[in-house]
Amino acid sequence: MTSPGFQRVGRGDTYSEQAVLGDHAPRDRRVGKTLPFNDDRHLLAHQFLVDEAYLLDAQSYGEWLDLLTEDVHYVMPVRVTTALGTGYDTSPGMAHFDENKYSLSRRVARFQTEHAWTEDPPSRLRHHITNVRTFATDKDDHLIVESAELLFRSRGDVNEAATVSCGREDLLRREDRWKIARRTIFIDESVIRMQNLAIFL
Amino acid sequence: MPELVDVLAAVRRGMIPAHIYNDAEIFALERERIFGRSWIFVGHESEVPYEGDYVVRRVLDDSFIIARDSKGEIRAMFNMCLHRGMQVCRAEMGNASNFRCPYHGWSYRNDGRILGLPFHHEAYGGEQGFKKRGQTLLPAPNLASYNGLIFINLDANAQPLEDYLGDFRFYLDYYSRQSTAGLEVRGPQRWRINANWKIGAENFAGDMYHTPQTHTSVVEIGLFREPKAEKRKDGATYWSGVGGGTTYKLPPGDFRERMRYVGYPDDMIARIEQVWTPDQQKLVGSDGFMISAASCFPNMSFVHNWPKVQDGDDVLPFISLRTWQPINEHETEVYSWFAVDSAAPEEFKKNSYKAYLMCFGSTGMFEQDDVENWVSLTNTAAGSMARRLQLNSRMGLLEDDTPVGKCLLPNEFHGPGVAQVGYNESNQRALLGLWADHLEHAVEKASTMAVGTYTDGIEPLVQTANLGARV
Repeated sequence: MTSPGFQRVGRGDTYSEQAVLGDHAPRDRRVGKTLPFNDDRHLLAHQFLVDEAYLLDAQSYGEWLDLLTEDVHYVMPVRVTTALGTGYDTSPGMAHFDENKYSLSRRVARFQTEHAWTEDPPSRLRHHITNVRTFATDKDDHLIVESAELLFRSRGDVNEAATVSCGREDLLRREDRWKIARRTIFIDESVIRMQNLAIFL
Repeated sequence: MPELVDVLAAVRRGMIPAHIYNDAEIFALERERIFGRSWIFVGHESEVPYEGDYVVRRVLDDSFIIARDSKGEIRAMFNMCLHRGMQVCRAEMGNASNFRCPYHGWSYRNDGRILGLPFHHEAYGGEQGFKKRGQTLLPAPNLASYNGLIFINLDANAQPLEDYLGDFRFYLDYYSRQSTAGLEVRGPQRWRINANWKIGAENFAGDMYHTPQTHTSVVEIGLFREPKAEKRKDGATYWSGVGGGTTYKLPPGDFRERMRYVGYPDDMIARIEQVWTPDQQKLVGSDGFMISAASCFPNMSFVHNWPKVQDGDDVLPFISLRTWQPINEHETEVYSWFAVDSAAPEEFKKNSYKAYLMCFGSTGMFEQDDVENWVSLTNTAAGSMARRLQLNSRMGLLEDDTPVGKCLLPNEFHGPGVAQVGYNESNQRALLGLWADHLEHAVEKASTMAVGTYTDGIEPLVQTANLGARV
């Protein structure tokens, strides 16, 4: 037929390579098996995620932004239902988030105005982080950490609380401190049951 | 429920009985009298660019497979096996030459025809018992496209899509025709909101009044080059037939200067000049209006806006298409697509997509505050007090129905329909006026449809996207 407007590709080792806005993203990949749970690198990665979750619960987004590297790629593909063996389960060329530091900083700045009505009154948030496992990369100052996340979000007193379930893969890099250089969020729903994503995962 | 005739009369006066935003009886009527006989947007031809590509889309509860066959023809087929009613396709997109029902194994070609059914001879006595030759899945009762935008109508006797869209096509072209190559459409993002479907359609149709209040934060963070929210009252709203929308007033300049002002590069402007009519260009170049949000009755909406996507003064325009698909009277599934001219430079496509993600869709910063309002409105409309309240939707009218402002003259606004400058709710009234017209008239007995036989598959879509012209 005709030339494609977009590439149809499956999920590779780093989703950033397929994302429309992932050109700038670091490409580091995991090396080897899961690190033992008593490995210092796993312990620090796990603690990093838990500490971060408390910042997200409290909507301390200024502090949270400081945990992201300048070249961060923060991406959340749109998941689609496809037949077994199709080779992809994300919507080609479309994401919910496909962010760099600038666009994330605008989102954070918006929450810091007095007029972000969607979070005034604020949601009651709980980011549950579990199934954490850590991998080495071929650089000492880079780690890959995977986690499962369940966000519970309650607003007001009429509607039921909403939840979002997702799996994440993060690239952590040691700069002046450990930071997130890449985050990929695989949401487990094709149709999101939450009124908006005015939150971070 | 209060008498329907009283509800409709109030709506036509611009006084909206609040319960219509959360009322099961009203929704039952909408399902039958609006969604049962209106043209409903389901997707774009560029979403199935290759032979065998398909997407599955719903019109309320009815699921349709929209597939491109090996000859490049597009069809829409009701996604229900002729035998026991199982969905023959349970994926939402993919590429397949045929679909096999998982229940008993009946299979269908991507042009709708039955390909095979197990034990046809033994179980049915072959063609004598069940004539499978030429039998197809049920076709969509009515299928048509405009600029590649595919619509389904559940009424087989509906007026043709072109007639339905009428003069609103003048405005549709701004969003869907920026070169001979046509749109490239990506997505949709899909999410559910606890809000009635009409609220979003009304908002996008004409609510310039909410921008300075609801979207203050987006202006404060410098997403726009200038504090635009306050400038909304300088824009014009227009309504023409089944649709209408809002515009921004642009600074002085000719057509090219004004297109550059909102971020279009010169090569795109040159292609646009080849396809927009002189009047379509005059609306921008002479009248100084740039289209922004719009809605097409009943539940399709559009966005065109031009934020900054990085530090600096440069802005980038983006286009988004969407539908407000009702689940019930208080829940809506939003389908939000990103659209860009397929002949645009790759760098422009990337930045335009970024602009879309920052502003609209599931994570868009405009969107976030809108939905918060609409959910609250829908909750509050459920109770008995809401049945006693008529919401005032008369902005722009004096008590005796004299307009507050004046309509723009043809040499001030070169588009069809009625246009006026400043805050008003005439578009919302026009949309709900159509809503009232539809609810007023009962549907004739739903046309039953015998399973047909088509030797070449069911009737294909007359395509309008001109995908072949892509560069």
